[in-house]
Amino acid sequence: MNPHIYRVVIRSQISTGRLLALAGLSGVAILLAFAARAADDPVEVATQSMGTFGTNVFAPFIALALGSAALGDLVEDRTLVYVWLRPVPRHTVATAAFAAVLSVVGPIVVAVMTVAAAITGVEDLLVATAVATALAVFAYSGLFLALGLRFKRSLLIGLGYIAIWELLMSRLGDWFARLSVRSYPMSILSDATGVSMRLADRSTLASYIVPLAVGMAGLLYTSWRLSRTEID
Amino acid sequence: MSQVQAGPPPMVQAIGVSKWFGDLVAVSDVSFSIGAGVTALLGPNGAGKSTLLRMMCGLAKPSNGVVTVLGKNPRADVAVLGRIGMAPQQESLLDYLSGREFVELAAQLHHVDNPVEAARRAIQTVELDLDDPRKLSTYSKGMRQRIKLAQAIVHDPLVIALDEPLTGLDPRQRREMIQLFHRLGSEGKCVIVSSHVLDEVERFGSRVLVIAQGRLAAEGDFREIRNLMDDRPLRISIRTDQPRALAIALLDRGVISGCRLEADNLVVVDTSDPTAFRRAVAPAARDQDASLLELRPLDDDLESVFRYLVMR
Repeated sequence: MNPHIYRVVIRSQISTGRLLALAGLSGVAILLAFAARAADDPVEVATQSMGTFGTNVFAPFIALALGSAALGDLVEDRTLVYVWLRPVPRHTVATAAFAAVLSVVGPIVVAVMTVAAAITGVEDLLVATAVATALAVFAYSGLFLALGLRFKRSLLIGLGYIAIWELLMSRLGDWFARLSVRSYPMSILSDATGVSMRLADRSTLASYIVPLAVGMAGLLYTSWRLSRTEID
Repeated sequence: MSQVQAGPPPMVQAIGVSKWFGDLVAVSDVSFSIGAGVTALLGPNGAGKSTLLRMMCGLAKPSNGVVTVLGKNPRADVAVLGRIGMAPQQESLLDYLSGREFVELAAQLHHVDNPVEAARRAIQTVELDLDDPRKLSTYSKGMRQRIKLAQAIVHDPLVIALDEPLTGLDPRQRREMIQLFHRLGSEGKCVIVSSHVLDEVERFGSRVLVIAQGRLAAEGDFREIRNLMDDRPLRISIRTDQPRALAIALLDRGVISGCRLEADNLVVVDTSDPTAFRRAVAPAARDQDASLLELRPLDDDLESVFRYLVMR
């Protein structure tokens, strides 16, 4: 990984709008946690809300906002040339960008969701939430990093993907659910607390392997794309 | 047995290079070799100069043909990018960095031994303030051009591609930039500068590749190109009180190939020898006792010059 490119991507990702989105969604996570704690069946409500909000909303939306911007913003404002023109292997650029996304999205989303899980008071949920959110962040970050490099309107396309595929199509049947990222981290939460959740019916091994594979596939595609793309 | 002495290998070479975007042909079957020194890519906007420069730097892949830099394919060989410096045409920069950070970043990514010192040298070369803490977002157009040049030369590259580098500079800065290009060229570097301004290229005093409509329209020393341009056929409108008599006199002298009376005091003539026409028109008018009120070339804009060179 190239530390100089890593720093460039980190700085290009940070914007007031993105930080506000991060703060707003963090606030919602904490509010949901307090609501779950006060519920009649905190285990059921906490598992559902951590799964539904953490892996379905918080992780994908923040990964989209920052992941698609990591290289996408450089493409959009035509400054990728100042990274691309250097004698740096393309996979190094992709890895640095991926690391930059993970190092911003990961700690914040995982930390907020883990604090939220702690607030619910459901002990079984604590580690599971941290692991499930981390895996969701990894998968979505890789996916949206690639999306940002591939498409000009990546934010819009990503929102469409989350809304239509992840949130709607995945409910149409088991095969659709298998092709949605969110079902895997949700399964980890379901396994941890024993609360049955819709779509969360993946094997333990798949729950860990698939998000990692999706994130890696995004990274590999980004490297491949960087070596073939034409720079404006 | 005598040995044939080959000249130095070209630093940049294009062989039958074409580039198209869908139906649009940006560059069509262009071949050239460029060695050390300053070479100007001259052509109107949209002629394909930037596309050629982008292919030379590996930013774009030729649709057909081959571009090599120092014998390597800049698209496939990442290492050769370490020998290339480029200042792209677009104004956008990494606006959240200061000028010094921007140039240091370029040096770091080029694995320069002492990036801080290299950045200092490059920034001083382009005459920007080394201690200016402002972000690039606050830079004027001229400052942006100079910082782009600094990042292009910070790693002491052998091939320097500069896309319209004089745009936005004041006359003094232009003069100093041109001196810098010459200095780099005389140090054995291959400096390729694109421009759509004929007078600007004249001041480079260098080899010129004229690009028009995606094709290599002409190449050679600037004086040869200038002569070609000056000697092209011209259509000239002459406002005079005796258009018919003057046109006949010019036809008799053989300096025009055709004429058309446009109004009582206006005749449009075609000449394939503008130099002879310029010499003959005043004496012809004097002989006919005609007053020359106005002489106006009808196709003397740069576009028509390039059009002529392409169709020649």
